[in-house]
Amino acid sequence: MITFHDVYKTYLMGETRVEALQGVTVELPERRLAVIMGPSGSGKSTLLHLAGCLDTPTRGRVHYNGTDLGALSSRGRADFRAQSVGFVFQKFNLIPNLTALRNVEIPLLLQNKPASEARKRALDALTAVELGDRMHHRPSKLSGGEQQRVAIARSLINDPKLILADEPTGNLDTQTGQRILLLLKSLVEKGKTVVVVTHNPEIAASADTLVLLRDGKVESFSTSHGKEGRV
Amino acid sequence: MTLHLIKLAINNIRSRRTRSWLTILGVLIGVTAVVSLLSIGTGVEQAVLQQFKDIGYDIIVITSGGAGRAFAGRAMGGPGLDGPPDGADTALPESNGAFVPGQTGQAATTTSGTSSTGRTFSPGQIGASSSTTAANSSATAAAQASTRAESVVDTAALLKAVPGLVEAGNLGTRVVSVDGPSASGFLRVTTPSLSFLTAFPSILGGFKIASGTTFTNTTENEVVIGARSAGSLGVNVGDALTVDGNEFTVVGILAPSKATSAESSAAANGTRNGTTRAVTSTVGGISGGASLLARGMTNTDDSLFVLQERAVSLWSSQAANSFTIVRMATGVKVAEVMTNISAELAAQGVKATPVSVQQIAASIQGTLGMIETVLASIAAVALIVGGVGLMNTMYTSVLERTREIGILKAVGARDGQVMALFLVDSGLMGLIGGVLGLVLGGVLSFFGTRLLGPALGVGSFQPVFGATLIVGVLVASFVIGALSGAWPAWRASRLNPVEALAAE
Repeated sequence: MITFHDVYKTYLMGETRVEALQGVTVELPERRLAVIMGPSGSGKSTLLHLAGCLDTPTRGRVHYNGTDLGALSSRGRADFRAQSVGFVFQKFNLIPNLTALRNVEIPLLLQNKPASEARKRALDALTAVELGDRMHHRPSKLSGGEQQRVAIARSLINDPKLILADEPTGNLDTQTGQRILLLLKSLVEKGKTVVVVTHNPEIAASADTLVLLRDGKVESFSTSHGKEGRV
Repeated sequence: MTLHLIKLAINNIRSRRTRSWLTILGVLIGVTAVVSLLSIGTGVEQAVLQQFKDIGYDIIVITSGGAGRAFAGRAMGGPGLDGPPDGADTALPESNGAFVPGQTGQAATTTSGTSSTGRTFSPGQIGASSSTTAANSSATAAAQASTRAESVVDTAALLKAVPGLVEAGNLGTRVVSVDGPSASGFLRVTTPSLSFLTAFPSILGGFKIASGTTFTNTTENEVVIGARSAGSLGVNVGDALTVDGNEFTVVGILAPSKATSAESSAAANGTRNGTTRAVTSTVGGISGGASLLARGMTNTDDSLFVLQERAVSLWSSQAANSFTIVRMATGVKVAEVMTNISAELAAQGVKATPVSVQQIAASIQGTLGMIETVLASIAAVALIVGGVGLMNTMYTSVLERTREIGILKAVGARDGQVMALFLVDSGLMGLIGGVLGLVLGGVLSFFGTRLLGPALGVGSFQPVFGATLIVGVLVASFVIGALSGAWPAWRASRLNPVEALAAE
């Protein structure tokens, strides 16, 4: 379970202070598809970054299964990202000069896994997203949907329990987007916790948990079971 | 992980091929400069020291004071090759065009002149101060008048008076007018004593007789002649030569010296430069012996040889241009021997200074070491410039790869791993530059020594690539590469993942 407790996040953009999150308190259940929605600048991605230890809160606490993520050291946060979470980004964020296979195996290599094991698992992951025949292609030779599937394969390579996806269908056509959505939903069925930031109402309709953010605050919280969140 | 980092780094270098190669080129140039200069420098040092070793560290050179001492340093091949000699040579009249420029290392002949043979022989040894045969007599007279007459060291008495000496011999030199069957002109005559020829033939390139015999006695006017001079003058064994107005008989012709081809090549190219002069003249008070020994006196091709015992009786000023070489017994104290020699020289009334080969070698070694250090420092600057170029590339690379750094961090890369990736990247480029620079420097060194050997007067020599140089260069190039990338790498490692991912 991911718990945000009175979380604030303030950025400095030049001389301007941006209050991205202002006292967010919310709980995202395990093994569910949680969707975070809201207008641009509402703090959706910031919330996702805090959940994935890409960033730390200015104030407040973020817990994942009892671990205070804000208290982790830089190394602890890196290890958390390596072992417990997988990211999927709107812009795919693949390393352009590496093949699909090498992009996928990198997280394992960073954990000093043997090259042969990394290669095998990367191949399995690519096969799982139906890209086994495209593994030696560089990202520039892949379509948007294929790139996103490579990104999903990479996010799954360490078998993390938490998948964080930031606008995963934002750069894809409707059909490919639906395919990606199905892929994410299948992950939930396999016991993963999937948190998706999106503007896509179709994904929202599939959500087990829906968080609506506005101006850095939780405007509404609902679950498929009817539970209301705190605002 | 290191292997994976290296693979990633190689991948990155390959993906930015042009810039990577340009960066590597910067390091390559620096390493090439360091390698070639150091290997050539060490090669020169070893070649020079080998010459001293060949002569023997048990040798002491006694050079006469003042002008005589300086002259001794140019005894063989010095004046004509390095510029106008002092004393007699500078007193020679101006050239009338009979001298053929560019043939400084060998006898030059002309078809004009006023000699009895109808040809003027103007040897290279005289260099820029070439002369006319019309002025031969007056020039010689002037030359002789300008040198101070000093006593020749009595080597027999010296050996007797100084314990620890086993051999001694005198060697002199002067410029004389020569009339031969085919040509006439000025030539250097070298005047070894009989004891010198017996004890130190190696200093005269072995003094190997190709035809005829060596000197048969000290009372006859006998001359042994160098191979090239014999050809230029057109003489054979048994022919007569007029040397400074005295009739001499050619009793022997020497075999061509080993230095012939090298020196003539250098002379033809006009590359006889000042480096040797720098080496031999910067050692101050011992320049005479240094020059004498460093050059090995191996080029006997352009000289005439007359026994000193005969020369002294014929030419009163001969003593001014002579010096003495003695050999010590094994195990004697050099300082003590030197003191005793000085005392004996004073007793003989000879104004001369003893200098040991050890002193000369140490002094030259010090000078060469200093030159080497200066050259290496200059080369190191080139290497540092290459390093700065590498730093610039790495800094730019960090800026360009900010998003990639964000991705790596998002998938679990630690700060240290990101830093290591960039360090390996820059270190690898440094290492590649180092390896290529080592190869190129080696190739340049081999060509360089071919050109420099003759020019420096040390014959052919090999560049020296010690294990220290090779390993040192490789380690240094990797370290410089890594250090150059250290700051950009540190910057990369400190990037906030979210900000890095947001970079375009």
